[in-house]
Amino acid sequence: MVPTTMRKAVAASAAGVAAAVMITGCSSTSTSEASVPQDSGTSTLRAAFAGGSTETLNYLQGPTALDYVRARLVHAPLCELDPGSDDGVAYGVVESIDVSDDLSTYTLHVRDGVTFTDGAALTSADVLYSLQAPVLLEGLPFTKIVARGFDLEAATTPDDATVVLPTLAPIADGRELVCQSMLAIQDGTTEFTPTTPSSGPFTIASFEPGSSTVLERNDDYYGAAPALESIELVSIADGTARVNALRQGQVDYVSGLAPAQARTLDDVDGISVTTSELPYASYLQFTMSTASAPLDDVRVREAIRLAVDREQIVENVYFGRAFVGNDLPALGFPSYDEGIPQREHDPERARELLAEAGAEGMSLELTVGPELAGMVETATLVVEDLRAVGIDAALRELPAGQLFADYQAYLAMPFRAGYNPPAPFEANHTPGTLPEVDALVQAARSGASADERLAASHAAQQLLWQQGNQLGVVFVPNVSAAREGVSGIRELQFPDLAQATVTD
Amino acid sequence: MRTARWLTVRVAAHAATLTVLSAVIFWATEVLPGDAVGVLSGQDATEAERASVREALGLDRPPLQRYGAWVVDALHGDLGTSLISGRDVGEIVGDRLGTSLAVLVPAALLALLLAGALGTAAGLRPGGWLDRVLSGVTLGLVGTPDFLVATALLAAFTVGWPVLPAVALVPAGQTLWQHPDLVVLPALALALGAFGATMRLLRAEVGQVVASPYAELARLNGVRGAAYLRLVVTNAAAPAVHAFALMTAGLLGGAIVVETLFNVPGLGQELTTAVAYRDVPLVQALGLTLGAATLAVLLVGDLVTRALTPPSRSTREHP
Repeated sequence: MVPTTMRKAVAASAAGVAAAVMITGCSSTSTSEASVPQDSGTSTLRAAFAGGSTETLNYLQGPTALDYVRARLVHAPLCELDPGSDDGVAYGVVESIDVSDDLSTYTLHVRDGVTFTDGAALTSADVLYSLQAPVLLEGLPFTKIVARGFDLEAATTPDDATVVLPTLAPIADGRELVCQSMLAIQDGTTEFTPTTPSSGPFTIASFEPGSSTVLERNDDYYGAAPALESIELVSIADGTARVNALRQGQVDYVSGLAPAQARTLDDVDGISVTTSELPYASYLQFTMSTASAPLDDVRVREAIRLAVDREQIVENVYFGRAFVGNDLPALGFPSYDEGIPQREHDPERARELLAEAGAEGMSLELTVGPELAGMVETATLVVEDLRAVGIDAALRELPAGQLFADYQAYLAMPFRAGYNPPAPFEANHTPGTLPEVDALVQAARSGASADERLAASHAAQQLLWQQGNQLGVVFVPNVSAAREGVSGIRELQFPDLAQATVTD
Repeated sequence: MRTARWLTVRVAAHAATLTVLSAVIFWATEVLPGDAVGVLSGQDATEAERASVREALGLDRPPLQRYGAWVVDALHGDLGTSLISGRDVGEIVGDRLGTSLAVLVPAALLALLLAGALGTAAGLRPGGWLDRVLSGVTLGLVGTPDFLVATALLAAFTVGWPVLPAVALVPAGQTLWQHPDLVVLPALALALGAFGATMRLLRAEVGQVVASPYAELARLNGVRGAAYLRLVVTNAAAPAVHAFALMTAGLLGGAIVVETLFNVPGLGQELTTAVAYRDVPLVQALGLTLGAATLAVLLVGDLVTRALTPPSRSTREHP
């Protein structure tokens, strides 16, 4: 056992990790819910993730999916995104959130009776500290989403059960910001070790970065008691090795499979493959730089969007385990505009538009790297489709890690691959490309009534669909596989193992 | 006495080489496009957030200052902390070195055994049936990529005849050294892929010695059996020992494919990840560890060669 002391250092790979961490919905997910956890006795689940030696208990700096899966089992969430519910969130140690009429103050009510593993009661001071921790402890940028919407320094705790958060500017979606990824930690926590007080359904019995973590059930957990007695999270970096370990019975469950690996498991008896459902799929997109000709011409951008055969990508790259995109983010979230028609594969129209714009035979280099399952393969097909409509397209493939490493170079690429983890559109919109869209998104976040806000959001999406600079071809879910007898795992963006059950 | 002086000079030269290597590695990480800030921030961070990450990592200082600080710390035995996970670099390298060695040591012993036995057997009767069969087999193995050898072994011992674990999962609190069953397949994969070159060199040398007047004289004088074998092998082994040392050094950092497939995260795999993450302190430490280990293995190889070589020839070979 190596109790690792987490020090400064910042962590997280690319954007993937980013919002990646953020979503853990609560209902409306593809769960094989185990309604009655039977024999809550001596069961152990062995689950394998990519992990790696960069693993850390500090989820504010953790670069791998495993870091968040583990943190979510050890620390209770304040609340979670839950696109199906009235408030859009499911409550945790925060039992409700009130919004002032002028949308400028949020009041968080802390659940009574929640305790940390050291016996201390969880109070408003802990909740406020949990919200401030990403800034205080130098968390990675994606963890700081609450600080982007709220004035955390001016926040107050009038009593043990109440946190009052003033917004930086009036916003209606503050609940979604607070609930995107925030876990409850104790006031004053500066380092994360196996013995750091926590409040989640499990506690850490041992932690060896890059190898394994043993978690044991926390019998004092305030919520639904886990059926499992313990969970062993193992780190197996290579997807094929993960599949081999599952097939041989060395582990019960594996996550983060590539499409081809999942396919090899389809015909294996005693193993079932599961895919996270919408909205829990990453948005794989190719951004066109509008800074220079010919991509500054909206006709050229539309031609490129029409040239690509999305169905073919879903079939040939993902073997059907993906969702066709419509050049818009946040598919599956409540404010996603279902009314906008799906952009079809229309190479004829693409050629016409290119001719109108005088851009026939234009050359275009698409830069890509292996940062998301199927990203390079998708880009390869996109380039073929573009060639088919007369564009002199070429693919530039970077080694793993490099795509986002040099951010200035990334921004300067005329046509570049990227992806966004599942997250609501408005709060995660990056302004700067189309001012009109930016204004609409602002209205969608601060409008007086819900109808007004939705109308503004739809108008923004309409504009993005017509004039935007993203070719959004596909939404990529997380693919997992388990042996027979494993159930109750919620396939969110990252799997939630808290209510899993195991039988032989 | 001469050996002691020779050894001192060699060790000093190796220390100098490592010093230069540290500068070269640092320079190489500098010229790589991008840095850990970009890797950590992802594509959606704002400029202000990027700046704060850069400051937190200390990457806002000029390169020379960072290198200088690293050298001073390294001389005090502090290799720094990983930019990505915040873990102590010395601890990570120690872990990975232990894992690498747990596979490498049995693999090297196995390769030595295979190369020694088969190379000698083939060289004693060059052109014989055994020699021809072994030549074919080793040429095939030398030409087969690591992942094919590893995959074939996986198919054979985990699917066809499932007697060995497919993936090295070490129970919490234990090390790979305590689980020989987990080491068998990766070590076998490495040994099979690596012993060919050494074996062929030994075979050629043995063949030459057997055909030399010296060996013929020994045979005519009635030297037989083990004594004859020892005479032949000690006279033939020097070049093969060199080849073996080189091969072993190469495996330490170059067993990435095997490490990946069997999930034995060793130095090679760690270095690949560290470079992808632009984790400079970790790249530095891993690079220097690999450099030092390689030089040490080569030094041992040279020592063995010296011991095997008759003094009259050693003056010529090691001026």
